[in-house]
Amino acid sequence: MKSLPILVFALAALAQWAAPLSQIWTHEQVLAKGTLVRLKCRAPDPYDPLRGRFLAVWPEQTDAPVPDGAKIDRGSQVFFTLTPGADGLSTITSISTTPPGTGIWLRARAGYVYDKKVNIEWPFERFYINEKLAPEADKWFAQNIRGDQGIVAEVRVLNGRAVLADLSLDGKSFREILKERVK
Amino acid sequence: MNSHHRWLLDQLPQWERDGLLTPEAVRTLRERHAVDDSQPGVAQIVMGALGALLIGTGLIAVIGFNWDDFSRPVRLLFAFLPLLVAQLFSFRTLQRGDASPAWVRETAALLQALTGGACIALVSQIYNLGGEWPDFLFWWMLLSLPLVWVLRSSSVAIFYLVCIAIWSVDRIERGAPWHGSPMIYPLLLLGLLPFWPGWPPKRKLSVSVRWAMTLSAIVGLCSAAIFASERGSNFFGYNEHSFFWLWTLTGAALALFPLNQAAIMEPTRRKPQVVLGCLWLLGYGIAMTFRDTTRYIMEGSSFAMHLPWCWGLLALLVVFAVVALIQKRWAVLAISSLALLPLAASPLVKAEGGYYNSTLSWFATLQLAGIGITLIVLEFAGKKGAPRLGAALLSGLLIARMADSHFSLLAKGIAFIAVGVAFLAFNILMSRLRRSKQLPAS
Repeated sequence: MKSLPILVFALAALAQWAAPLSQIWTHEQVLAKGTLVRLKCRAPDPYDPLRGRFLAVWPEQTDAPVPDGAKIDRGSQVFFTLTPGADGLSTITSISTTPPGTGIWLRARAGYVYDKKVNIEWPFERFYINEKLAPEADKWFAQNIRGDQGIVAEVRVLNGRAVLADLSLDGKSFREILKERVK
Repeated sequence: MNSHHRWLLDQLPQWERDGLLTPEAVRTLRERHAVDDSQPGVAQIVMGALGALLIGTGLIAVIGFNWDDFSRPVRLLFAFLPLLVAQLFSFRTLQRGDASPAWVRETAALLQALTGGACIALVSQIYNLGGEWPDFLFWWMLLSLPLVWVLRSSSVAIFYLVCIAIWSVDRIERGAPWHGSPMIYPLLLLGLLPFWPGWPPKRKLSVSVRWAMTLSAIVGLCSAAIFASERGSNFFGYNEHSFFWLWTLTGAALALFPLNQAAIMEPTRRKPQVVLGCLWLLGYGIAMTFRDTTRYIMEGSSFAMHLPWCWGLLALLVVFAVVALIQKRWAVLAISSLALLPLAASPLVKAEGGYYNSTLSWFATLQLAGIGITLIVLEFAGKKGAPRLGAALLSGLLIARMADSHFSLLAKGIAFIAVGVAFLAFNILMSRLRRSKQLPAS
């Protein structure tokens, strides 16, 4: 048995484990130690051929002003500072090209830049749901999307990284609401 | 090819018994046409791949259901367990080396690739990770690539080629950085060539892999050409015309892709890069003979000359052409020369008030006629030509010119009939010539 193919195979097998494990480690850290941020959002219901049904999570805030003197290109890395309001919902209050020293901040990619505003490409966009619950999620979504309360994305943020932990309506978990409706 | 060899080997004992062949001739034929069992048969690949595909896609579908009743660790176990089993199966296959049948290697590699994909899919589902499915595909194919190298799997190679082509098409997006665009397609393709480690390749690529590679290269490189054109233009530029010429340069590069002597001697149908490259070039050549297209071709090619991608293609073409010249691949060189006609004719094609003169149209007609005649003459001169293609080209050229002319329908009709009769007569002549070459003189 030749050693080079075995070595290459071992590296490939390790990489197949390392890629998902590194994701798991990073996201578990964020979920365990991250600050909870709540963002008002919309959530239509598309389908991914490989990962199943999900709600596309679109926070309502879609752009933020470019600070004076800052040069931000489309696709470049930017840092958003999030500040919670009186209603507990957070909004982006500033953008920088270097990590802010304080506060809750998110690392993301800049979208289109126009009129001294930068379009935000949020680092989370999907909330996967059980296929059995998906039709009920559609109905729930249609009934609640126009309400004043709106759907809230609960995101854990740690060192600029974000993990979408849950969706909620009126403080109640989306999954719990759906399970109650399906019963 | 293996099936032909198998048929021949099956016939040898009978031919020996009948006294048609001496034992020595039989031995020589056995050695010369030995069956390479390390290359999987099509049926084996299909059956092995189908089994692995069903298991793998079944796993992905089960994952797609989203079992959120289970805890995260349990769901992660679902992701890693099939991957571990597939990896152990692959390792055992690799350990057995040549003792493993080809179809087992194929199945092991494909199963591992699919379980790897299912694992990433489940992790990204559990943590609600973003990203479109082509991004997912990108990481999946990169993680699957080493399986092609070590298990020499044709099905995973084809999977990889399909994935990089799809990814390239998806990344044609104005404003995207070059390192996330189809411009890295050549690097992705180089990652595969040719089932590293094992350079220079000891075995030939199967015809199915050759076709997949050629089609993938066409899609990937053409996507890169569109991206390069859009990147180099403003919103009102001539990029939509320029990438047609870049596609033509790509076609010429494919047709001229350097081959070793054994590959040159193979039938043309086993060289899809030559077939598809030449077909595009001839179609482009015929299009150039129409005066109305001159404007688009000239605007497109002059715009493309400002693009680094175009210069890269031209440099590659020069290298490939020199190699082809050394190898005396006259027919392919003649056809590929069509790609450079807009460049060569540009000083003579004058634009006045938005209209172009007919110089390019005439040059294209003359060049195509010359190529058609060359392809026929080469055959009669005892070199590797393509007389039927030459005749078809001349016929197509005549039809195109007649269709574009102001002659009456009657004249056009008679001309078409005459061309058709001449074409059939030539075909019959070629068949007789070929038969007379095959039959020994009595």
